[in-house]
Amino acid sequence: MCGIVGFLDKSGNRQAAVGQTLLDMLSALDRRGPDSSGVAVYADRGVDACVLRIKLGEHGPFETLADVVVERVKSLVSVSTVDLQGPSLRLVVTPPESPESLERAIEAVDSSIEVVSLGSRLDLVKQVGSPANLEATYAVSSYVGTHGIGHTRMSTESRVDLSHSQPFWAHGRADVAVVHNGHITNYHKMRRIYEQQGHRFYTGNDSEIIGLYLADHMAQGASFADALQTSLTDFDGAFSYLAASADSLGYVKDPFAFKPLVVTDTPAYVAIATEEQALRSALGDDFPVWEPGVNTVMTWTVEDGVGS
Amino acid sequence: MKDIDCTGKTSRVINQEIRHHIQAGETDIRVQHPQARHNLGVAVLQQVSLTMSGSVGYYCGGLIDGPRIEVQGSCGWGLAESMLNGTVIVNQNAGNSAAASIRGGTVVVRGSASSRAGIAMKGGTMIVQGNSGYMTGFMMQKGTIIVCGDTAEALGDSMYEGRIFVGGRIADLGNDAVIEEVTDQDQEFLATTLAQYDIAAPASFQKIVSGRRLWQFDKKDFDTWREAL
Repeated sequence: MCGIVGFLDKSGNRQAAVGQTLLDMLSALDRRGPDSSGVAVYADRGVDACVLRIKLGEHGPFETLADVVVERVKSLVSVSTVDLQGPSLRLVVTPPESPESLERAIEAVDSSIEVVSLGSRLDLVKQVGSPANLEATYAVSSYVGTHGIGHTRMSTESRVDLSHSQPFWAHGRADVAVVHNGHITNYHKMRRIYEQQGHRFYTGNDSEIIGLYLADHMAQGASFADALQTSLTDFDGAFSYLAASADSLGYVKDPFAFKPLVVTDTPAYVAIATEEQALRSALGDDFPVWEPGVNTVMTWTVEDGVGS
Repeated sequence: MKDIDCTGKTSRVINQEIRHHIQAGETDIRVQHPQARHNLGVAVLQQVSLTMSGSVGYYCGGLIDGPRIEVQGSCGWGLAESMLNGTVIVNQNAGNSAAASIRGGTVVVRGSASSRAGIAMKGGTMIVQGNSGYMTGFMMQKGTIIVCGDTAEALGDSMYEGRIFVGGRIADLGNDAVIEEVTDQDQEFLATTLAQYDIAAPASFQKIVSGRRLWQFDKKDFDTWREAL
């Protein structure tokens, strides 16, 4: 039992209150899982800006390590902003030629380090604790942008720490992130195949493989929507998940319809959540909601705002 | 009419207020701003009228015996679960497992119902004015399901008994669900029942019942069993 939420503004407003909306939705769902929470918010930051989120470790102090990491990053790309928020080091950098090699170079500094996210539009924060705690650390309600996803977790199988929290960034693929409610039951089998191909796993959380799968398929030329579609047949289990890219938001609903999900698609926005309560408390009463059918995928893009 | 404002209240407190008003002799209660809270109006055993002025969450009207509940919005999972008697009407869409295990009474969904509507029904009637989702009528044992629109995959899967009427297209039938001819008696029942709730009947209905091949295990039917389990 977890809570997942997604929101995409269709009105053309590039400064929509995405952070506040995601936080309101998550707060209505936090009883579904208070172990950890997080959001990924997408905003247009211009062509030369790329946000890098680095987890320095689970327990501080982090200042000394932050200095070392910043020096390492500066040797690879130019850095315009440095911000240390708890264990999360936020850097605004020029876009790297290869996100993957930048990631490797940073993570080589210390084994406690993980690049949590990287993207020209994506900014991702998560931590152990409730959505209210997330707001206290990161002031999520102030984040503006075009769309985003969020998660509140009840852990069933793997550890509770920052790395195991969601959203999961699709390591190596700029801007793609995922939130998941359910179980991917062929996770171990798929993980073994990916590990043989040299992919690194950061957690023992089955949800992590969704991002890796999407990144892998998009690297092979699949569109975001196509990657979501093929995941329906490649993943086993009962799951509902939301994925976002630089300009899109989509849901995937499992072939058994065991995991809840409700959607509203209005002329002004699309909002998706595990329970209707999240939509009502964040966005009011004046729109209809529906449950996606079994075995379905739907995506929306920021430009046209039309679902398909 | 008595009003209950849900703002700032838990489902438990709201249900206690409903009970309190009923004990005081009130027969018409309106629950305002429910905001999709779970478990509203559960276990009400009196013939009162409850109006939910908005959407409700999971298990609304569960375990009731007698009341008439109208939801002026949509509902989440397990609408009217295990109801003994009464009427539950939802004006918009219903979530997973509407009318699960009901033993009597009537559930009306004026929008569309999601997956497993009418699962394990043991009596009563469920009417869906729109479309109905995956595995509608899964393992139903008794009672009637009327879907005016289309139904998704695996309709009536592993049903023991009971009957399902579908006015629209059937995506496919579940294990051991078979189509039977609609009788004049059925036609009359459909017309009367739908008229009771001001629902225009579709041009024609198909009737689905149990093929009864799963009642006893037979090695010849092994493939059906494997599929069903």
